[in-house]
Amino acid sequence: MKFNKYVRNNFISIFIFMIMIAIIDLMLVSFKTNEQAIIGVNITAISGYILYIVYDFERRRKFYNKFLNDLELLDKKYLITEMIEKPNFYEGEILYDALYEIDKSMAEKIKEYSISMTDFKEYIEMWIHEVKLPLASINLIIHNHKELSDKKIVEQLKRIDDDVEQVLYYVRSENAEKDYLIKETDLSKVISNVAMKNKDILLENKIDFIVEVDNQRVLTDSKWLEFIVNQIVSNSIKYIRNGVEHLIKITAEENNKSIILNIYDNGIGIEKSDITKVFDKTFTGNNGRKIETSTGMGLYITKQLCKKLGHKITIDSKENEYTKVSILFNKDDFLNIAK
Amino acid sequence: MKKILIVEDDISIRKELKNLLDNAGFNGMILEDFENAFEQIKKEHPDLILLDINIPKLNGEMLLQKIRKESNVPIIMVTSKNTEADEVLSMSYGADDYITKPYNPTILLLRINAIFKRMENKNDILIYHDLEVDPKKGIMKNSTEEVILTKNEMIIFTFLLANMGNIVTRDDLMTDLWNNNEYINDNALNVNISRLRAKLKDLGYEDAIETRKGQGYILK
Repeated sequence: MKFNKYVRNNFISIFIFMIMIAIIDLMLVSFKTNEQAIIGVNITAISGYILYIVYDFERRRKFYNKFLNDLELLDKKYLITEMIEKPNFYEGEILYDALYEIDKSMAEKIKEYSISMTDFKEYIEMWIHEVKLPLASINLIIHNHKELSDKKIVEQLKRIDDDVEQVLYYVRSENAEKDYLIKETDLSKVISNVAMKNKDILLENKIDFIVEVDNQRVLTDSKWLEFIVNQIVSNSIKYIRNGVEHLIKITAEENNKSIILNIYDNGIGIEKSDITKVFDKTFTGNNGRKIETSTGMGLYITKQLCKKLGHKITIDSKENEYTKVSILFNKDDFLNIAK
Repeated sequence: MKKILIVEDDISIRKELKNLLDNAGFNGMILEDFENAFEQIKKEHPDLILLDINIPKLNGEMLLQKIRKESNVPIIMVTSKNTEADEVLSMSYGADDYITKPYNPTILLLRINAIFKRMENKNDILIYHDLEVDPKKGIMKNSTEEVILTKNEMIIFTFLLANMGNIVTRDDLMTDLWNNNEYINDNALNVNISRLRAKLKDLGYEDAIETRKGQGYILK
């Protein structure tokens, strides 16, 4: 808060005071008052007024400077009411009370939304578990009644299951709370589960599935990682390139700082202009437009999950040659947990 | 015949599950009375329990703990709630395995068989007519000759042997191979089967593996 601005703001008060002093002086002169008495009256009145102005400026300055300073420092600006003290001047009190009211009402509204979000999330999770029951049932029926059995039905079932999982993990990735559990996980076990899920469609499309992963263990939530790897492998299957022998190759590299899981395919690849955007929400790019079922959510959710788990995910590709997705697991985590 | 108790509230699933188990040579039994589940289980004395985690009026994890206090019967937890925390909890309460819905039925059977095999812990030598098969060493021999089987050939042969006299589909064989982290393709399966046939022929069993067109293979 600046003094000159404050003075300018109180211009009328100062102006009226000066006129009053002038009138009083005129009156005193016309009453032929003693000159020294006039000077005395003037000094008393003016210094009293200045004293008042300085005092008034000071208390405001103290409050507003702290207020603005705190506001700047705060990451969450709405917490400002927790930081400031109730001021000792009238407008300040009004501001303080109003801010308090506004914050309270906003907090209530947010709570309302957060409750409805939680309700929604719970409902979605419950619904997903419900919908898995008929899926499980159909899987068994097909297996038991070979005459009904058709690879195509199994494949479509797998598609439903994948889409349902995508919703589940979207809900989980968007939620602030932590519903994962990090523990030491065998990479080959995760890959084995993903392979099993995609076995039929891989064989049907004559895609060679090569895995060169030893006994590497990483710190992660195995279910989340399974979803992530499945998402990437599903993409590789979706974007195979005609005219070559299809290949998906999963390898793991290890150095003293990290373990990197690479998922490579010789599919249609990604255009250079698209590659920085593939992790964006609802981005489908040129490849997506070629394939109708692309929602552009898969890689976005994948990236969000990686972020939450603390894994770094990168993508490298050359159009009409290959796509390689790499997930980096930090080994430092082992130490941190051991501590 | 091994008795497997199905604790599952979804009527369609448990009916098909019983079918699946019966067809696979087990005696599938359905638990109907969830309120007295524990007493029922004690009475039935199953060889293995397939236990759903979320059943109304029954907390699967509590039941698991209760059973474990009195018995070592193998238990596979079945759930549609696929979270790490649930799995860790179930395993720490003493479940033998954990499988999520929807599951591949062949995998479920493989897991059940794996548990029984682990429990019996018998010496791993398998017998086919006058041949001895040792999966661990990867050899198959009669009194005079010995041939070496590759890992894939051994997986295929042990699967056929376990289902001797019955048709085994290519898909079942593939599932077992992939389940053992051998991600081979159709051509490789053909190659492995012809090599296995040749090796059986060397030991005097020509045409031991018969092809049933459109259905699969049968070991005679």
